[in-house]
Amino acid sequence: MSLHRIKLTVNGRPIDATVPGSMTLLQFLRDELRLTGVKDGCAEGDCGACTVIFNARAAKSCLILAAQADGSEVMTIEGLAGGAEGALHPIQEAFLEMGAVQCGYCTPGMLLTAKAFLDANPHPTRDEARLAISGNLCRCTGYAKIVEAILLASERMHE
Amino acid sequence: MNNPSEARARLIGGRAIRVDGVDKVTGRAQYPADLYRAGMLFARVLRSPHPHARVKAFDFSAAKAVPGVVGVFCGDDLPSPGLYGLNFADQSPLARTGGKVRYVGDGVAAVAAENPQAAEEALGLISVEYELLPVLRDMHSALAPGAPLMHENRPGNILHSARLRHGDIDAGFSAAKVIVEGTYRTPLVDHAVLQPESGLAYMGEDGRVNLWVATQWAEEDRRQIAEALAIPKEMIHEVVTTIGGAFGRREDISVQIVLCFLAIKTGRPVKLVFSRTESMLACTKRHPFEMHYRAGADEDGKLTAMKIELLADAGAYASTSLVVLNTAVTLATGAYEVPNVTVEAKAVHTNAPVTAAFRGFGSNQPNYAVEMILSRLAEALGMDSAEIRLRNILKTGSIMLTGQKLEGGVGALQSLEAGIAAAKELGLDWNRPRAEGRKRIGVGIACGCKNIGYSLGWDDHSGAVIEAWPDRAVVKIGVCDVGQGSNTIWAQITANELGLPLESVTVARNDSDVVPDSGSSSASRQTFVSGNAVLAAARDAAEKLRALGPEPAPGLLPAIGSYTYHAPTTYPLDPETGQSAKPNYGYGFGCQVAEVEVDIDTGETRVLRIIAAHDVGRAINMTNVEGQIEGGYLMSQGYSISEEYPLVDGKPRAASLAAYVLPTSLDAPEIVPVVVEEPDLYGPLGAKGIGEMTMLPTPGAIGAAIHTAVGVWLDELPMTPERILRAMGKL
Repeated sequence: MSLHRIKLTVNGRPIDATVPGSMTLLQFLRDELRLTGVKDGCAEGDCGACTVIFNARAAKSCLILAAQADGSEVMTIEGLAGGAEGALHPIQEAFLEMGAVQCGYCTPGMLLTAKAFLDANPHPTRDEARLAISGNLCRCTGYAKIVEAILLASERMHE
Repeated sequence: MNNPSEARARLIGGRAIRVDGVDKVTGRAQYPADLYRAGMLFARVLRSPHPHARVKAFDFSAAKAVPGVVGVFCGDDLPSPGLYGLNFADQSPLARTGGKVRYVGDGVAAVAAENPQAAEEALGLISVEYELLPVLRDMHSALAPGAPLMHENRPGNILHSARLRHGDIDAGFSAAKVIVEGTYRTPLVDHAVLQPESGLAYMGEDGRVNLWVATQWAEEDRRQIAEALAIPKEMIHEVVTTIGGAFGRREDISVQIVLCFLAIKTGRPVKLVFSRTESMLACTKRHPFEMHYRAGADEDGKLTAMKIELLADAGAYASTSLVVLNTAVTLATGAYEVPNVTVEAKAVHTNAPVTAAFRGFGSNQPNYAVEMILSRLAEALGMDSAEIRLRNILKTGSIMLTGQKLEGGVGALQSLEAGIAAAKELGLDWNRPRAEGRKRIGVGIACGCKNIGYSLGWDDHSGAVIEAWPDRAVVKIGVCDVGQGSNTIWAQITANELGLPLESVTVARNDSDVVPDSGSSSASRQTFVSGNAVLAAARDAAEKLRALGPEPAPGLLPAIGSYTYHAPTTYPLDPETGQSAKPNYGYGFGCQVAEVEVDIDTGETRVLRIIAAHDVGRAINMTNVEGQIEGGYLMSQGYSISEEYPLVDGKPRAASLAAYVLPTSLDAPEIVPVVVEEPDLYGPLGAKGIGEMTMLPTPGAIGAAIHTAVGVWLDELPMTPERILRAMGKL
């Protein structure tokens, strides 16, 4: 089995590691870096629970090989809040206020998809927001309050 | 929402932010697969590739030789009989030599290894010699004379039969002006919880096994682990982690017994994580039903008779199919009063995945059939489809098919009226289809009725202990918060009784060493049963705290309040007549109005808008109630138009989310939740339950809407484009 040396930035921290060729970015983040906020829902690219921000775009980490992440910048849910201890990102606040979280398993992936989307499209329509999260499955909420939370966050981020 | 911050601050009936929300949005919440322990082994389970086979021999030699493999085991390594099950202990976690496997996905053998790669490699090297047995591919094959037996003690492959006789069925049909009949079928569907099954187990220095898992009932897990492994229940310490969705899926044992067995056997911590494929293959599903309904109504649209036959596919093992069938029987006439009813029902084993608890628990299927029948009766009478429902809907004082007289807390009419009013306000008219190019748009209305709590004589109870200081409190209760937000309402109720801010109330982790038994998070029962326990315990704690005076000595704190609440007594069904004075102590009702667009060329169906009016008694947390309505509706939309897990001669066609069509955000319509508050007689602060009710009216509402749109009556779920086109004569 091949081994690959990778250097990448994860949540602002430089990482230098050696990974097997078959290891996915999802496995690397969870099992090697213990960033267990990144969720495994299917490991086949169908559910979006593993979504991270990979070079400024939302991406399914189960579909990226760890070796492919050499030279990349990755943000996981653990890196979303940033800043002062306890200070949440406006998107996280909006999810809480609107009741967009139930079991929470889709939530990290949803939040990161939302962040990448709002960074690129600061004033979305409701339909654009629905399309943006169409790669993230949720079995609990019916998506209604998630979409409302994204719209609320977009208002808050630009007031 | 006029004043959001006021709503968030209001403890009862407001929009308090869920207490576990920050952990979930930051990724700090720990689900079982997020747990690691030094020295832990990785386990994998080998699953049967055959729907029905006898295991002749195992050969583990190649598997054991893989470097890093610590052990390879099968059922022969378990004590005898080593079985588990919620109603009957008939299922073995791993197969035995000479034993049978009964569905594709049945557990065969288990591996524990130092790393996941070694476990996977060893799994592929386990050799099993099977003798293939004839496959019972469907219920009719299983019921056929001479069919091979799935279980030796269940002749005819019938797990359970039930019958009901209410009134005079012949007189009922004689009095009917119109009679309608049909056969309705529903599919095998998967809960598709986002979090696949997983857990961690390890031996403690006290010699007990510690299990960390997502479940719906820790106490019941422990009982079954103890029985299967022949160890005292006290030797099992179970801690419930954050749970990634349940919907009934986590009622049955999944990883628990294998994990505890491996931890005990190896002496090492062991982690077991199912892949999505394994989760779909191995774990429980909703019962397929085949239902025949014959129903009559008089010239005023009053229902006079219903003759009902229900066949429920119990799959390979018993699980809770007996109770599911009983639920189906007690709710076989849905939300309506029918004076003359007969029901014949059977739960039948087939070589299919185990069918078990799934949001609705056997009520969804008959409710769908009843609603289609009501809509067709309306058509036969030339009557408005809401009007026929108004004339038959259950009310206080109504007599149900079991003979139960409804005492109160019956929000059925109110939900129906709320649905009708909301539809009128939004311009949704089930009498006016419209055409837009190649699309036809129609509206349909349907109702639903689901019981709350355990039924038929089961002692439904929950215990709560509350420790109170002047400035804070801790709630200890054995409820699994599966995502619905139960932890939050215990904190709300307690804060309200003790005069504390919400942030000062903590709900303790669900740890079997710490919390009392509160029963399962199922049957839409926790708000009612555990809510009553928390309310009483909080009042007890408040009284004790008050008795300590204005400045209690620290040594006297905390004041401890406790209460075990028992729900009102229920009674079993008479075995001959299916009658019972009180099969259930409460019911929740709902009405949904669906606006549906059908493409007449492709048969593709989109729900444009849905009104969902649901009676909850009293909303303790309005956001969470809406969340249940929105989420439950969409899950039921998937059930109605896209989801199925098809088997071909007992073999699943696919076990992946790529093939299993779950609703995405693009499939979600505009959802208009309407919360109806008709206080329950016995619920805490008037509240009852909502979790399952939100799924019931959906298939009937969508089915009626499709008929309005394109003029065809479908009789099978899911109502796929193929089925619609076939019904339209285009395929």
